Amino acid sequence: MNRTYTASSRTQLLLMLTPYLLGAAVLVGLPALLSLLLAFLRYDGISAPVWVGGFNFQLVLANPVDLLFPISLYNTLYFVILAVPVRVLSALALALLLSRSGRGVGLYRAAVYLPTIIPDVAYALIWMWIFNPLYGPLNLILDGLGLPTPGWLADAQYAKVVFVVMAAFQIGEGFVVLLAGLQNIPPEYYAAAAVDGGNVWQQFRYITLPLLAPWLLLLTLRDIILSSQNIFTANFIMTNGDPYYSTLFLPLLIYEEAFDRMHFGPGSAMTVLLGLVTAALIGLILSIVGSWGETDAS
Amino acid sequence: MQVNSKRRIFHAIAFHAVSILISALFILPLVWMASASLRQPGLPPPRTMEWWPEPLAWSNYNRIFEMLPLGRYIFNSLLVAGIAVPITLVTASLAGFAMTQLNRRGRESLLGLSVVLLVVPTVAVWVARFILFRTLGLFNSYAALLAPALMGSSPLFVLLFFWSFRRIPRELYDAARMDGAGPLEIWWRVALPLSGATVIVVGILTFLLYWGDFTTPLFYLKSQTLYTLPVGLRQLQELDRTNWPLLLAGAMVMTLPSVLLFGIVQRFFLPENRLAGIYGQ
Repeated sequence: MNRTYTASSRTQLLLMLTPYLLGAAVLVGLPALLSLLLAFLRYDGISAPVWVGGFNFQLVLANPVDLLFPISLYNTLYFVILAVPVRVLSALALALLLSRSGRGVGLYRAAVYLPTIIPDVAYALIWMWIFNPLYGPLNLILDGLGLPTPGWLADAQYAKVVFVVMAAFQIGEGFVVLLAGLQNIPPEYYAAAAVDGGNVWQQFRYITLPLLAPWLLLLTLRDIILSSQNIFTANFIMTNGDPYYSTLFLPLLIYEEAFDRMHFGPGSAMTVLLGLVTAALIGLILSIVGSWGETDAS
Repeated sequence: MQVNSKRRIFHAIAFHAVSILISALFILPLVWMASASLRQPGLPPPRTMEWWPEPLAWSNYNRIFEMLPLGRYIFNSLLVAGIAVPITLVTASLAGFAMTQLNRRGRESLLGLSVVLLVVPTVAVWVARFILFRTLGLFNSYAALLAPALMGSSPLFVLLFFWSFRRIPRELYDAARMDGAGPLEIWWRVALPLSGATVIVVGILTFLLYWGDFTTPLFYLKSQTLYTLPVGLRQLQELDRTNWPLLLAGAMVMTLPSVLLFGIVQRFFLPENRLAGIYGQ
């Protein structure tokens, strides 16, 4: 604590932090530990919990009756691998385009941010309408242009893509973060590059990109963790996993397992496995980025 | 010179043309929602793209309020958000302020903790939190919905306050301290009055968070009288899955307040020029 404060002031500071720290412990820390424990229990919320060792994991990973976990893990990875690069790169492109100041720029930025503030349920209904095979404006336009009109959400081949498109429009947070990052680059850097005769591409490659790299990495990692959970509401409202489980993403499966069927043990085991896969993905990306650093240094 | 100024004009036109096209693309979902919400229910599919439905069926908006107690749900949503916003403003700004007053080690460990909290997916705590809340008797009550407000609703809000308070010159804090003010008094008399923009931004972001929240009421509310608007929209969908004009009228009712509040907040939120807004260094 700050030395210039008196003892009573230090107590005050501690009190000011208490709601935040206590809330974090009770609402996040404790449940996270509890999930780990629950993954090894059989518990339905009524009878007493029973320790079952690794049985829940066995049930989830190698269930002879259904393969819902592997299917939904595949769907989730498919979504993350497509959606995250699209989201980060479009946020970057838009931030680069709209980082200048001038007339109208504020409005353009607001327009880009707008889809991000639409409440989840309303957002899901809007895209169900847009992708509706018969009534939806998208197929009417495609039809008008003489292009094929797929069944979208009704067609297992296209249904996942709808979720990627939806996610690609809600990129306001990444856009704002990169915009702030761009504005914090001192203009002298570009002035110096211009004196040295660097063209636009060279300025981007040697000034903008290296200075934005930490932000891009942060956004990518955050998106890997959060983008798949953020589609839960849309998933629940729009398809509920149909057709043929092609849009059964992991958060929906966890919800069904734990909240509908009260299988808290297997539900928690799935949660733990989702955490492990996410951690592996992040480890992979960090090791790739780390190796770039090494080759740069050598 | 002549060539140069021509080039500049061409660049400006190209920039605005591209930006307008992109803006239109991002506004399109809202435009389509608005136009579909005014379409006469029960019509056959249109043959070509229909931007402006004929006739305009404003009655769709009356119908949805007759089908479900949406007025009640709106009230409930406003109640939850109305309680959450002041609590969040107090808890998040207290924590953010205390972080600015700690020594380097304390500050950095709390920053680290906040970043970790920021990336913990809520899915990871869904099941265990549900069991915890049920054991505590918080099931089917707004306490379950409001619990996150006690920790500032989101670590991001704590960080926004921290950054905002840190930009205030240290001398102001020191002067207040010399006058014998404790941290609580400095927070209330110095830090908060100088951070109006952050208070507004966090207040509105918090409102949007609770106004749009679907999962928490889905998990915890069982009595229809307690339902908030997002759950009400889900109910509307279950009543008639294919009545698109009515569903999108409901979506409009849900979205309009968010758009209006965003209109207020966007000039603070989207940095117009260097050092402006809430991001300045």
